[in-house]
Amino acid sequence: MPAKRIIPCLDVKQGRVVKGVQFKDLRDLGHPAELARRYDAEGADELVFLDIAASLENRGTREAWVREVAHELSIPFTVGGGVASVADARSLLRAGADKVGVNTAASLRPALVSELADAFGRQCVVAAVDVKRDPDLGWRVYLKGGTEPTDRSALDWLWELSDLGAGEILLTSMDRDGTGDGFDVQLLREASALPIPLIASGGAGLEIHFLEALEHGADAVLAATLFHEGILPIPRLKAYLAQNDISIRI
Amino acid sequence: MSQPITLIDYDAGNLASLEGALDRLGLTYRRAATPDQAAPGGPVVLPGVGHFEAAQRSLKERGWWRVLPDLVAEGRPLLGICLGLQLLTEGSEEAPKASGLGLIPGIVRRLGPGVKVPHMGWSQVRQQRAHPALPDPDGGWLYFVHSYALEPSAETIFLAEHGRPFAAIEARGSVMGFQPHPEKSGSTGLFLLKSALAWMGATTPDPEVPCN
Repeated sequence: MPAKRIIPCLDVKQGRVVKGVQFKDLRDLGHPAELARRYDAEGADELVFLDIAASLENRGTREAWVREVAHELSIPFTVGGGVASVADARSLLRAGADKVGVNTAASLRPALVSELADAFGRQCVVAAVDVKRDPDLGWRVYLKGGTEPTDRSALDWLWELSDLGAGEILLTSMDRDGTGDGFDVQLLREASALPIPLIASGGAGLEIHFLEALEHGADAVLAATLFHEGILPIPRLKAYLAQNDISIRI
Repeated sequence: MSQPITLIDYDAGNLASLEGALDRLGLTYRRAATPDQAAPGGPVVLPGVGHFEAAQRSLKERGWWRVLPDLVAEGRPLLGICLGLQLLTEGSEEAPKASGLGLIPGIVRRLGPGVKVPHMGWSQVRQQRAHPALPDPDGGWLYFVHSYALEPSAETIFLAEHGRPFAAIEARGSVMGFQPHPEKSGSTGLFLLKSALAWMGATTPDPEVPCN
């Protein structure tokens, strides 16, 4: 079994890493390559960049920073945001991204996932899914950053994504996102039966939350604020997990 | 190093990360789409991701497939990375009708059953045999992305495991192969890449290479 992974997530807008609450009050944190270098040095196992304002117009800007990140980084990275076609994915992979993230476009047109897996191999395809607890469905899939409900049950959709050719699932609990109350462990336990790796996202606040997620089936854990603000330095988190018998790269 | 490293550019995986790693190590390199663009000496690196047969076809179209064994026969150092290593072997289950270059003995077989395939992520390597070019990173973690792997032999330098042991790093004379991506494997990967290339730069045309 490969080591469990710690993954900082960076939101990018027009070529700058930004931070804000619910995409509002955005604060500039720096150039993507600059932050990438910092996280690489701190021992992050992988990075996820989410282009939160992806559009046709800024495609050139995006390729430029992806190329710079690829040049600077000695760990793998995923780029997501507005990927809706094989051509979109190809431009990111050509620029040096290791994987592409798909979310809304895959939900609207599931064949996209198969097309990407056929073109580049499933290891390049990260399917991001945002879910909320729901009285009817257990967990319901939401689109567009959690603002738009769908009719899909989260677990059914995860299995479908895996069958379509997704190489990995990035599963965000919208209920927990930003709360710091811990990951939705029940959700992770249910999703861990999938035959592909599972990245847990949403709710990290303390070291023990990462341990819980990894003990309940997550292969990797993703967080943003905790790492960006220096609240929980990655070396400290990794030392804690290693002490608790989690297989981790140190 | 007097000669730049030649990076074989054949549309099987982009070279951005590898070039970034070489820049950080302070090593000079040039991309070569065809053999006539190769540096006249120095190490040759064969990267690669994707399908065995597609990569082989592309190497044939560009004239590399025929030339690589000659270069090695002249004592030229050759480093295969990921699919690049697999292409150097005798063949792969991924493409049973296509044979490999045969520069490294052994067959590449599919991973599994019983484990998630592709093997994707950080795994530890363990040294089986000492090699002058490759110091033991002592349980070092390297980054892997692959569904097929070379069966290990007594000659294998470093082993890794995913369901079963497989060859992580192989060396035969001036030919070396890395199954993991050293350019994606943090400081351990850079250290091994630098060690391997430094040794390759020092290699003379004498094919007798000390191995203990």
